[in-house]
Amino acid sequence: MFNLPPPDILLQLSLNGALGGAMYGVAAVGLSLIFGTMRLIFLAQGAMIILAAYFVRALFYGLGIDSFLSLLIVVPVGLGVGWLLYQGLFRRAAAEADRNVSLLIAVGLMFLVQNLMTVVWGGNTAAVVTSYTATGIELFGVRTSFTRSMGFLIALAGTGLVVLFLRRTIIGKAVRAASEDMDAATLMGISPHRVNAIAFAIGISLAGAAGVAVATTFPFNPFAGFIFSLKALVALALGGIGNVGGALAGGILLGLIEAYVQFFISGGWTNAIAYGVFLLVLMFKPEGLFSRPYKKA
Amino acid sequence: MANPLLEVSDLEVAYGDVGALWGVSLHVDPGTIVAIVGANGAGKTTLLRTVSGLLTPKAGDIRLAGQSLVGKAPEAIARLGIAHVPEGRGLFRQMTVLENLELGAFQPKARPRTKELLDKAYALFPRLKERAQQKAGSLSGGEQQMLAIARATMSEPSLLILDEPSLGLSPLVVQQMFALIQTLHGQGVTILLVEQNIHQALKVADYAFVLKTGSLAMQGTGAELIADPEIQKAYMGVLE
Repeated sequence: MFNLPPPDILLQLSLNGALGGAMYGVAAVGLSLIFGTMRLIFLAQGAMIILAAYFVRALFYGLGIDSFLSLLIVVPVGLGVGWLLYQGLFRRAAAEADRNVSLLIAVGLMFLVQNLMTVVWGGNTAAVVTSYTATGIELFGVRTSFTRSMGFLIALAGTGLVVLFLRRTIIGKAVRAASEDMDAATLMGISPHRVNAIAFAIGISLAGAAGVAVATTFPFNPFAGFIFSLKALVALALGGIGNVGGALAGGILLGLIEAYVQFFISGGWTNAIAYGVFLLVLMFKPEGLFSRPYKKA
Repeated sequence: MANPLLEVSDLEVAYGDVGALWGVSLHVDPGTIVAIVGANGAGKTTLLRTVSGLLTPKAGDIRLAGQSLVGKAPEAIARLGIAHVPEGRGLFRQMTVLENLELGAFQPKARPRTKELLDKAYALFPRLKERAQQKAGSLSGGEQQMLAIARATMSEPSLLILDEPSLGLSPLVVQQMFALIQTLHGQGVTILLVEQNIHQALKVADYAFVLKTGSLAMQGTGAELIADPEIQKAYMGVLE
């Protein structure tokens, strides 16, 4: 049908796809954590990423703070904002067995944030243009963008830190326990509100990290976040819900799929195929591509 | 009688409009094994879940060492000294044996002493030490039950609640389980036990309560009830 392009083009495609997909991945890691303890699909995650991107832009143009350096501000602020969001907006709804209230709050929050951003920064496309925006670097003999590579590193580091937290600290273990069986976790003396708030804090700080990656790489507008939430959801389904490393891998895989579709078929098909894959995975491998099916005793 | 450790008075619990417990009163004295026995659906598990805060009673009171537990969240009740091994064990199956045990000592009172408590648990359950790095879900049924009990002892509870510890286990493992319960009892742990294996439960229990469709039908020492002709007829006929 069509001839395979030369290997260097394939490598270029794969690299670009993987680097871009890591950003879906880091958004998906946040979704995965919040879904884990709360059984809530936090649809506002994308809006929070864009909000963080605007914040990074304000830090850059307002105070002259380098965008990668602003991670040191954005990530702690994200932790605080996430904690407050949970305590202020979700705490009461989380006590209800019915998750629809929490979901509606997330949707409401998404629209509120989108519209507030429009009021404050206008609806036009914004970008952060720095001295290194157009800089290229060489990776595996292929030229790629410096900012995309940094975004990839941020995603990798963010996910790595979350995995370390979940595996090595007792609070992280409590979060995993609560994700697996909240009733049993409470019998250990683990407070649901505490683990929920921790999951939210980390989820939003990851949105902050993703915001840095987005701000330095792409132009963005207040409404770009929703697509991000959807893509993160696809990455989550690919990686397996409740599997943090899988969520990052799912994002990278989604990035690869998009890059290949764009090259071999056409850009117009990218989203249709991404969501098609989403449905196929949910239908045939709902536990995700990277989870072993778990035998029940 | 001296002050009971756990005192349940006139407890009523309902699922929506459907009543599950009507006016149940019972007590557990410190250092004893108390069994609650009865047929399937008699309300045994409901009673335990209400004590540990997973269910909220409609009426009545539950007191631990004099302090009312009604309206408290399960995590708060756990911190007051109740360790509940629920029906189905409530293990974190995707986590390792060691991680499950560490979480048993999650509460602030026990956490700083996790290492010491872990050594104690391993002394009682050497099998779990061998399997420390294995996922809890990969253990055999008997080992899982041992892990669930070991995890509960990690908080050094004043009251250990066991819901059907023998469920689904082979007869040999059931024997080991009851031997273990007696060992824990020998160490001074107060135990509230729910069992369908009525004969075994009455044999180890200092005192027992018989629940029948949500109400208390009978009570007495384990020895008294085991000898009771009505109990023998109603619950142990198949065992004779």
